[in-house]
Amino acid sequence: MNLLALPDFSKASILARTAKTRDPLAPPPPPAGILKKDWLLKHRTRVPAAVAAMFRADQVSGDPAQWLQACSDLENLKSVIQGRNTKLVVILVQSQAGDELGEDVTVALRKRAEIDSKHLVVLVERDETEWTKSLNKLTSVFTELCTTYYKDEGRRIKSRIEKRNFSSVELSIRYCFKVAVYAEFRRDWPEALKFYEEGIRVLREMVGTSTRLPPTQHLVEVKAIAEQFHFKISTILLHGGKVVEAITWFRKHIRSYERVVGSPEIAFLHWEWFSRQFLVFGELIETTAATVPDTLSPRFGTADNVLTEWEFQPAYYYQLAANYLREKRYALECSSSSVNLTEGVNGLPESVMPSVYVGQYVRLFEQGDTVAVLPLSDTEYTSYALSEAERFQDSYEIIALFRKAYESFQSLGATRMASVCSGGMAIEYYAAGDFSNAKQLFDGTAGIYRQEGWTTLLWENLGYLRECARRLNSLKDFIGYSLEMAALPLFSSSGQGNSSENKRKNGPAGSPTISSRESTQQEVINILEGKRTSEITDDGSNFHLMEESTHIDIDQISPLRMVLVACVAFHDQSVKPGSPMLVSVSLQSHLPCPVMIDKLEVQFNQSGCNFVIVSAQEDCSVSNPHADVATQTTSLTLFTDKWLRLTHEVKPGKSGKLECLSVKATISKRLVVCCQAESPVSMEEFPLWKFEDQVETLPTKDNVLAFSGQKLIQVEEPDAQVDLLLDSTGPALVGELFTVPVTVLSKGHAVHSGELKINLVDAKGGGLLMSPREAEESESHDVELLGVSAVTAENGSKEEVDNIRKIQHSFGVVSVPTLCAGDSWSCKLEIKWHQAKSVMLYVSFGYSLDSTEEAALHRLNVHRSLQIEGKIPMIVGHQFLRPFRREPLLLSRIRSSSGDDKKGSLALNESNMLIVSARNCTEVPLCLHAMTIEPNDNGKQLFSVEQISGISNECPVIGPSEEYKGIFSVNPRVVSSSFCLGEIWLSWSRDSTLGESQDNRVIMKEMLPEVHIEEPPLVVTMECPPYAILGTPFTFHVKIYNSTSLLQEIKYSLVDSQNFVFSGAHNHAASILPKTEHIVSHKLVPLGSGSQQLPRITVTSVRYSAALTPPASAATVFVYPSEPKFNLEKGYSTTDACVS
Amino acid sequence: MIVCVAVVGHQNNPLYLQSFTEADDALKLHHVVHCSLDVIDERVNNPKRNAPALNETFLGLLYPTENYKVYGYLTNTKVKFIMVTTDLDVKDADARNFFRKFHAAYVDAVSNPFHVPGKKIASRSFGARVSTIVKSFGSGTTA
Repeated sequence: MNLLALPDFSKASILARTAKTRDPLAPPPPPAGILKKDWLLKHRTRVPAAVAAMFRADQVSGDPAQWLQACSDLENLKSVIQGRNTKLVVILVQSQAGDELGEDVTVALRKRAEIDSKHLVVLVERDETEWTKSLNKLTSVFTELCTTYYKDEGRRIKSRIEKRNFSSVELSIRYCFKVAVYAEFRRDWPEALKFYEEGIRVLREMVGTSTRLPPTQHLVEVKAIAEQFHFKISTILLHGGKVVEAITWFRKHIRSYERVVGSPEIAFLHWEWFSRQFLVFGELIETTAATVPDTLSPRFGTADNVLTEWEFQPAYYYQLAANYLREKRYALECSSSSVNLTEGVNGLPESVMPSVYVGQYVRLFEQGDTVAVLPLSDTEYTSYALSEAERFQDSYEIIALFRKAYESFQSLGATRMASVCSGGMAIEYYAAGDFSNAKQLFDGTAGIYRQEGWTTLLWENLGYLRECARRLNSLKDFIGYSLEMAALPLFSSSGQGNSSENKRKNGPAGSPTISSRESTQQEVINILEGKRTSEITDDGSNFHLMEESTHIDIDQISPLRMVLVACVAFHDQSVKPGSPMLVSVSLQSHLPCPVMIDKLEVQFNQSGCNFVIVSAQEDCSVSNPHADVATQTTSLTLFTDKWLRLTHEVKPGKSGKLECLSVKATISKRLVVCCQAESPVSMEEFPLWKFEDQVETLPTKDNVLAFSGQKLIQVEEPDAQVDLLLDSTGPALVGELFTVPVTVLSKGHAVHSGELKINLVDAKGGGLLMSPREAEESESHDVELLGVSAVTAENGSKEEVDNIRKIQHSFGVVSVPTLCAGDSWSCKLEIKWHQAKSVMLYVSFGYSLDSTEEAALHRLNVHRSLQIEGKIPMIVGHQFLRPFRREPLLLSRIRSSSGDDKKGSLALNESNMLIVSARNCTEVPLCLHAMTIEPNDNGKQLFSVEQISGISNECPVIGPSEEYKGIFSVNPRVVSSSFCLGEIWLSWSRDSTLGESQDNRVIMKEMLPEVHIEEPPLVVTMECPPYAILGTPFTFHVKIYNSTSLLQEIKYSLVDSQNFVFSGAHNHAASILPKTEHIVSHKLVPLGSGSQQLPRITVTSVRYSAALTPPASAATVFVYPSEPKFNLEKGYSTTDACVS
Repeated sequence: MIVCVAVVGHQNNPLYLQSFTEADDALKLHHVVHCSLDVIDERVNNPKRNAPALNETFLGLLYPTENYKVYGYLTNTKVKFIMVTTDLDVKDADARNFFRKFHAAYVDAVSNPFHVPGKKIASRSFGARVSTIVKSFGSGTTA
């Protein structure tokens, strides 16, 4: 609803009807047009449906003069709206609800205005609730009046349609429009839609039937009207949410006007109009944010749902609008060229302007003061339209449309559609002469075509790009694009001549054919050789050939891989430096004509290996700048799709990686194509040619090489000419400082920055002896590398190497001084075993050939390893014995029969015998330097140790598996249940007679077990002569000493022996007073000679109920047949032997 | 009238494209066919929408453009067939029938032991057969 506010009643005349000086009796003239341009505007702003006169309350109540003024104003207003159906409303404005207006005033006012009582509205200004209430009332009054007004108007015109009360089709359309607009005014959308549709139907039928206007202008008018109708319908449908209907309607609209192009001269008008339809509909869809309704079947494009996804996207319409606008541009170009040819400057009509009717143009004709409006002829109109159209730059509009569509499609993920739009933009830029923008866009779109192999589209694109490069005078790009075009695989179909029509459709490159590929290639060659071709001079631009050559780089992802690909394969897997090997270089091109290569340079990462092959056709006198580079002459012509295979010999100079980097081919002297070398094993298929149905060939003749060849080879390190010697003298012994001499002996190489790495590894279970973390945690190691001492050659003295870098428990690094060839250096590794273990010693020696940094990267290494057994040198045993023929009664021994307590028991204040044995369990003789019992600190006073026999001045040498025994007497002086006797200390060394250094004494400690020391209550001592003589009687005493303060009762019994007769009781008992000794004596006569068992005596203590029987060895005596004769020393040794 | 038929491979690369027009608009048809791949992607990658048509090979009208209508068909091996026609009213049944015959011709062509899968179809007999199918399109017979 439009509202027009007028400040006072004097302005009311603008609402008045324009006076028409028409003779009411004359028949109405035929309509000059269908719709007047300002009709809608008039009804929206100047023809009111309702008029409201507003008075303040004091204007009508108080002063009679004011009352009269109000009445006359009202009269004026009434006369202005007279003749129309316009409704009148009177509004009275009160400042407060309390101001009572006289009933008579309102009635008088109503009568003056001739209105219903409900059309007089009182507004109350100061009261909030009254104010809104009265405003609402006013609104409803206006709405009602307007609706009535437009309903009446609509009905009036509708009746004319129904009665067919009109003289021409034009009027019928006009009436439809009016009815529809009135319906729209009162929001009766279905009726509006119905009459718009009716109007447009009649309009479509009118095409070609009416003769009121010349045909061209008639068509223009019809389309202009149709556009207006269509816009109305689409807007109503879209705002009503009827997207599907809107799109269906649009389809219908487009279909009905698609072919109504008109004469060719004004085809551009049709395309412009057509494009506008798409643009407007696209914008409508965009502004209403139309979405696909849920009720629609998701099966787009089938019978269930004839629409497609894109028809819901504005981008689709923008793209088509751009397409049709481009069509307009082409049509305009055709028209303007033909008009210029025929008419020249003749007859561009002046002062042409749009007429009052929609879609019509007239000429203003001034004659003196009178201005006449004259109709135009079709020819005049055409040239007018042409001149108007030429003033516009369509290109930029097309670009803008395409850009809009491009961005939208891009966001929808429709990349191909987007690329078409971007291609469209590029073509427009190209047409507008903006080649750098065009080139950038074409480059973008070429990407997707390359990727998906749409060669025909790529051909078009490259054709444009080539021309852009030509215009931008970029020779390198021009050659690149041309070569790519020439190498494109093509669809066998298509291929007409290169007419201008063809160029318009297919771009500057024309249609893709074999012959155009060939000519493209030839053109490049011609340019390179400096020949001028007619085509280039035609275009007026030419490349200035520069002195220096043009470089084109081709890598593995370059689209120019089709132009030239270089495949390099070494024939071997690895090689020693300096030894020759073969390398295959294979080249292939998809260019349609054979390519003559002048020179081929193959480059490696070791520049010493680079080589050049010069074509035989070339002049061999061409001086070669690299004198040391091998040069061969061969025929270097590449035929289409055929591999050119060349084999060359190279000698790598240095160790490390040798990789072929690139192959540079010089073509026609000025073009250098630098191809990144590829390995056959990893060579990919050609991007576009892989879809071609053709036989694939292999880059090398050797099948194995073709599938596994590599462009890089590992050149090995030269053989190390240094020897590393490890020595060891048999197994190592636990505890000793075992030395392993290591000698580095140079046999031809000078050693620089040498380094010796030592590693000790457990020979049984893999890995280090200890992981580094473990080594930190615990202090003890089974095997430890203690140090490395170097022996310098000059003085032969041992000195600690001060440049030891790092020694860990199982790992060490030692630097080795610089050695000349033939020198040697040695050192000793000092390793100590704590446990018997077998260990692998790994020593590796790394060095470089000279001290430069470069050489430092190529280090040579020598590795040696040695297994060393670690052995325990001696097994130490010990044994406690009681003194000969003296048996203390040790009660603990009797009681602990259960065997839980394995502790030995020693008698207090008695000398107990301790025999320590040391057995050599190695394979080398060992020298024993000392064997002592070292008591603990606090044990020193508590017992005394006395060495009875053992090491004399000269230390004994113990052979393998020999045993040495030492005897000690232990006399404890305190009673203790667990008494620590201390350790056995053995000091030993390897037998020095074998030439080992003398000072390597090793002290080996062995803990003695804890013992139980107790006081014996009874001690039984047997006394017997050292020997007996057959038949001679001797006395055998058994002394029993009671060391307790109690009376001890004992029993004893003697068992008969067949070799002796004795006197005395077999069984007897006795009591022994405290601290006294009881002696039992028997007289014995031996009956047999030799070592004889004495009669066994068993002493039993009644108190302790313990029986004591001397051991058999103690109860044995040797009986001589007669008195022996021997000296004193021998007797001593006999005793000794007896003891042992 | 059918103006163009195309077979498009897995990498969206054209395997066969033949136009049947007098006018030299092969390039335009290439563009039309290429763009239609976007719609196919959209329909195929939107399984929710196409749930009822899981085994449906006929994709229907892909999009109308200028005076062409583009129809699509997707084989079980994900090879796409695209047909471009200028007819205003194409019956679904006719399009389906066309694609069925075309599919049969395609299967015969790629079953040739000398054909390498994934390469362009260069067989002349396939071309001749396609021409026949194209000519018989819209004649109303479903034989």
